[in-house]
Amino acid sequence: MRARILARGLTGLYLLAFFGFLFGPLFIMVVTALNSSSFPRIAPWDCLSFEWFVKLAGDERLQSGLLTSLGVGVAVVMVSVALGLAGALFLTQIRPSLRTAYYTLITAPILIPGVVLGISTLIFWDRTAQLLGFGTDSIFYNGIFLTVAGQSSFISSYCMLVIISRLQRFDTGQIEAALDLGATNTQAFRKILLPFLKPAIISAAVIAFLASFENYNTTVFTISHLHTFTTIISQKVRLGIDPSISAVAFIIIVLTLIGALLYEGMMKRGELKKARALPEGPGAAAVLQGFFKKNPAMIMSVMVVVATIFGIWFAIGHSADQCKADLRAEKLERQRRLEEQYRQTLPAAGAEESGGAPASQGLGAGTFGNVFDPKNLEGQAGVGEEGEPPATEEEEQQ
Amino acid sequence: MAAAVRKFIEKNGVGMAVFMTLAVTFWIMVLIVLPQLTMVDFSFRFKLPPDAIGGPQDQWTTTNYEYFIKGNPGNSDGWNRVDVTVFTRTLIAAFFVTVFNFIVCYPIAYYMAKVATGGWARMLALSLVVPYWINEILRAFAFRIIFGDAGLINTMLKTLGLITDSIDFIRADIALYAGLGYAYILLMIFPLYSAIESLDRNQVEAARDMGSPWWRIHWRIVMPFAKPGITAGCTMVFMLSAGALAAPQILGGPSSLWFTQIIYQGFFEYFNWQRGAAYAIILLGSCMIIVLSLTKLFGGKMGEIGR
Repeated sequence: MRARILARGLTGLYLLAFFGFLFGPLFIMVVTALNSSSFPRIAPWDCLSFEWFVKLAGDERLQSGLLTSLGVGVAVVMVSVALGLAGALFLTQIRPSLRTAYYTLITAPILIPGVVLGISTLIFWDRTAQLLGFGTDSIFYNGIFLTVAGQSSFISSYCMLVIISRLQRFDTGQIEAALDLGATNTQAFRKILLPFLKPAIISAAVIAFLASFENYNTTVFTISHLHTFTTIISQKVRLGIDPSISAVAFIIIVLTLIGALLYEGMMKRGELKKARALPEGPGAAAVLQGFFKKNPAMIMSVMVVVATIFGIWFAIGHSADQCKADLRAEKLERQRRLEEQYRQTLPAAGAEESGGAPASQGLGAGTFGNVFDPKNLEGQAGVGEEGEPPATEEEEQQ
Repeated sequence: MAAAVRKFIEKNGVGMAVFMTLAVTFWIMVLIVLPQLTMVDFSFRFKLPPDAIGGPQDQWTTTNYEYFIKGNPGNSDGWNRVDVTVFTRTLIAAFFVTVFNFIVCYPIAYYMAKVATGGWARMLALSLVVPYWINEILRAFAFRIIFGDAGLINTMLKTLGLITDSIDFIRADIALYAGLGYAYILLMIFPLYSAIESLDRNQVEAARDMGSPWWRIHWRIVMPFAKPGITAGCTMVFMLSAGALAAPQILGGPSSLWFTQIIYQGFFEYFNWQRGAAYAIILLGSCMIIVLSLTKLFGGKMGEIGR
């Protein structure tokens, strides 16, 4: 019995540690978006501020990148879902002896490193253009075209896997029955197979879009002189990090969370509906009750949406100016106290050394960022009054 | 053959048959096979100005591959120390990231497949998927915040008084390994989960009733049964971490490179596409050889990926 409790406790602890590792980094990143400090950090906390979101809203490069990403994403969804569907249908009809080879071939792009896919796409279309005599201004050198081609090669495999897993559960008897009753092949496909596959096709489309949107390894080779959202973010991160990137993460995480919870809630709702023909009474209250009943994901998604709306409403009314002023005043105060402390020690040191000789010994110039260096002090007494942050500020910024 | 084609058209109707054939051919040939073959061909060419391509100088050569091993002719070492070292280190590091990932993910996959039930299991699965859909650049950025010089861990350790100088996690590549391990958790858990889920619970019960300790149950029953899932998960994680570019660019130390970064440099700094292609093939080829031989060693079967 005791061993069982111990095992349960250990399992719980492991789960906690694991999900801490999974969500900790995201949580920390999100919180840094709200700190006014110019380095993304949680501690020490400066001020609650939304300035990084404002900075983001003014970033035109990022917005044009977002537009490119959306365009590429839509094109990739159209190509990949079509190819994935065809690939999956083909797999169910191909001769068993060829099936393994075919399956290996169309799932291989998932395993090929994105870098390799990007390079091969770039080279292939470059050679094709040269072979056909097209110039560098033709479509074969267009970043968007190349990116769609490169990404589709492996995203189609994702789509194929999603669609095939539903297709395997399809009862082919339905098609045969339809054909026996006089339907044409196209009708049977449109009226029976396609509706059956609809959920899988929608999932495949969502996955394809997300995979395209976040792809970096392939895109960075194929996009040429253009930029997508992801390549711009990557450039920003490499050039120097600042909390506006955390703000991007904040927005993306909230959107993902709402999307995931809504999806889960919808799934659950469909299940519940099937399980007990939902009592949709005449009153709105009954409908709402039916909507949320036994559906934690739905409740949570609505909670997140409400929290987001409140958050935005709060952010519009909130100003970090007062807090920042306080923070600066606090720093000045600290500086003033240090100066005072120094003045008190000065006469003592002066007595020992007889005169105004430098008193830096014993106080360790390096320890307090040169605040105790007398030469430094002369300059700073004036600077401090003007309200410019003293040396301590610089030290914290590093 | 002709009979098979006729049957195929009969079964699907002309329109669908044409669409399927065209789509699959386009996908396999234009998007997968031809680009790879072109890249192989290209990697055996000299770097030439555009107007010399196709001319008499455009011969086949192994220069690009020789460069990987020997480096520049006037090289004092006699071999390409930088590239070969980076290459080896990338593969070894990717191997350890895979092992680490497996150790971390196996208990969770088992828990989700055999212990958790109903809504709880689904919430767990959902919470695994959410971090995966956050941009990989942003995930790496999160690790920069945590492991940076003035990052969370260093600040915490300093506040606690455990250290006085910052620990350089970036230079020590700790941030990189943590970030890579993090990035592919889902790809490891999913195949493991679906393999373990189909295991009959009675087998575990029987072993337990006969007095087998928990670790032997896993070693002798669950793991052998889940071998296809383990193979699939490890293969994906290994291939993707060896081929990762974003995480090393953001989290890699200044003095240590990932092999993909060398390929990237060859492309965008030296504009030597031929050599870049050769290096890409070296990466792809050696990853495949490693995966295939390890799979053979453990007696698994390929072609199970993605199920």
